[in-house]
Amino acid sequence: MSAPCMHPSCLLLLLLVVCRHAHTNLVSVTENTTVTTEPPVETLSPITPPVAPLTPLQTGQKSVVLTGENHTEKVEVVNPVTLNLECVWTGDNKRLPNITGYWTKDGKTIESSYSNTQLQNDRYYLRKEFSIMSEEDLGTYSCIFGPKAKVDFILAAPYLGEMRDKPIVSYVGDSVVMICKMDEKKSKPINWNWYKHNGTSKEKIEVDSPGHRYKITKDEKKTKLVVHNLTESDSGVYFCGAVYGIGTSMGHMQLRVITYFEPLKPFLGILVEVLVLVAVILLYEKTGSKKENQSGPEGNPDQTSNLSHGENAVADGHSGTARQRKV
Amino acid sequence: TILEGPDGGWGWVLVAALFVCNTLVFGLMRVFGIFFVEFVHYFGESAQAISWISSIGVATQQFFSTVGAALGNAYGARVVVMAGGFLTGLGLILASQATAVFHLYLTMGVITGLGWGLVFAPMMATVMAHFTRRRTMALGLSLSSIGLSAFAYNPLFQLLIESYTWRGALLIAGALAFNIIPCGALIGPQKHSVVSSYMALSVLLERPYITLVLATSFMNAGFFVPYIHLVALGRGARFSDYQAAFLVSSAGIADIVGRLFSGWFTDLGYFRMIHVLTTWAMLLGLSIALLPVSTLTGSYLVVTVASVLYGFCSGALTALPFSILPQIVGVGRVMGALGLLQMLESGAGLLGTPLSGYLRDITGEFFISFLVAGSFLLVAGLILTTQPHFFSRTDPPLPPKHPLDL
Repeated sequence: MSAPCMHPSCLLLLLLVVCRHAHTNLVSVTENTTVTTEPPVETLSPITPPVAPLTPLQTGQKSVVLTGENHTEKVEVVNPVTLNLECVWTGDNKRLPNITGYWTKDGKTIESSYSNTQLQNDRYYLRKEFSIMSEEDLGTYSCIFGPKAKVDFILAAPYLGEMRDKPIVSYVGDSVVMICKMDEKKSKPINWNWYKHNGTSKEKIEVDSPGHRYKITKDEKKTKLVVHNLTESDSGVYFCGAVYGIGTSMGHMQLRVITYFEPLKPFLGILVEVLVLVAVILLYEKTGSKKENQSGPEGNPDQTSNLSHGENAVADGHSGTARQRKV
Repeated sequence: TILEGPDGGWGWVLVAALFVCNTLVFGLMRVFGIFFVEFVHYFGESAQAISWISSIGVATQQFFSTVGAALGNAYGARVVVMAGGFLTGLGLILASQATAVFHLYLTMGVITGLGWGLVFAPMMATVMAHFTRRRTMALGLSLSSIGLSAFAYNPLFQLLIESYTWRGALLIAGALAFNIIPCGALIGPQKHSVVSSYMALSVLLERPYITLVLATSFMNAGFFVPYIHLVALGRGARFSDYQAAFLVSSAGIADIVGRLFSGWFTDLGYFRMIHVLTTWAMLLGLSIALLPVSTLTGSYLVVTVASVLYGFCSGALTALPFSILPQIVGVGRVMGALGLLQMLESGAGLLGTPLSGYLRDITGEFFISFLVAGSFLLVAGLILTTQPHFFSRTDPPLPPKHPLDL
């Protein structure tokens, strides 16, 4: 790794992760720090987190050295954890001996977090310990140096893999398969759940609901929801939830159930076009040939016969083996 | 003696009709790839099981080309093409109702394949019959739709599948395929015409035809390799995905230019068609072999130039094996000979791409496969030089009527 830059205009950012207590899958670093277009994790209040097996509370630390004005760091949280966040700022050209720093969560200032930081080894340090116990504790934690510099730590359960942004289409009476996948590199969830949005809230889908139309399969890294015998009321937004110790990570997709009338419209349109073309061609021919018959038998535009006659004349134009093509 | 015959007029209308037919035959064949993903997801079957749908369709089309030719000779191209169009559409419409992959084999594979087989040979033969001096140009134009349609169909069918799922998309594809019917109707009423044979099996006994079949088989084996593997070759040479894709696009554009040039040049008549065909085959072979060599330079410009050369030669060649047929078998047997040719050369075509894939698997890259493909075309050119009267300055007389005609 490259050496830290002392000059404020240097744009190098260092990541240091130190696991105090060696637990795998404790706090994982998301590799993609440039992606900021991932959908935010939706927090679910009505759903109670499952009772996780009692494990000694894990701790972790994330440290970011900031040399510019701001930086965003994604932190993946799987289980309840005590997280030490550290921001190290190389400062600006003023080099004040003391500056105030504070922390915010989701934009709201944490009152007790105001502190004065001193310039140490040509850097300013802000540290704070946070208890991330449940879904409410997830969010964006920011350390702010005076009015100048900021580091955002986005704490979230593992994001689900790529979701189709276009609606899934299916027909009335047909079946549909909806899939949610968790990235291979991320931790596997404890459980999977499926929900359907019924206009006001998400309703959990149970497999033994009347009609036995739903079938849910759960693998480690993916889950499938199969809905049989679709009706138009099955259209809507569906959610899959990957359950972790810290909470549930949601993904959503839209289902559109259509009737056969939808593709039938362009289908019939094209059929009509074909019939019209054929009718026009045949009619044109009929009137064309009528005119020709009236003006007397002349050479036809179709000269296909000439060539074969010409060539057959070489051998024997009226050979008995030649066949006549029916008109 | 120069054949005095028709050129243009209604023939150009038929060129347009053949253009449309080719999009609905070969263009649709190329779109199967988009449905592939949908079928794997919906039916949960293996990639190989789904791949069979397309293989059956293509194989059926090629095999039944002879049947199409025979029926066209017996009953007239018009009826046969219209019937073929109906079957093509019917197969796709039935496929939209499939509940098992096996249904797709029968509908998209057999029924649609049969429809396609009935369309190609009679339609091509009819166009050929309407041209003498401008034949190569006419055929080149009508065959150019294949590449263009694959290009246009991809986004179209992507949209159709997203709006209506594969079922709706197949339904609409079936309706689209019905457009073959008015194309066939344009052929016009068939006159009393003397056809010397239905399937023209007698051509199999003639050396000129056999030489042509052998040569085109080799051509088929090498022809499609760059078409399919050019992108992979580009990526292997460390070009970006877009750069590699652009190689194919530039080859495609050069293809159209080459096609037009070749049509114009051949039809000028300065050279015997057999010589022109042999020259383009050899040039194409060289340009295919040049492609992997050009990647050794590491320069994207050099590889693009090589791709353009390949595209140009490829387009220049395509129509010629067809347009030379009347000279070799006589106009009366063109339809049958065409059907047979399709069927016989298809085997080589089926082997060509897997062979290049195999060579890539054992050598780790496409270098050897391209060289082999290029050499196939050079061999094809050499075979053509064994054509009787190859080295004479004028075209030989047509073969005498064979008493053993079927």
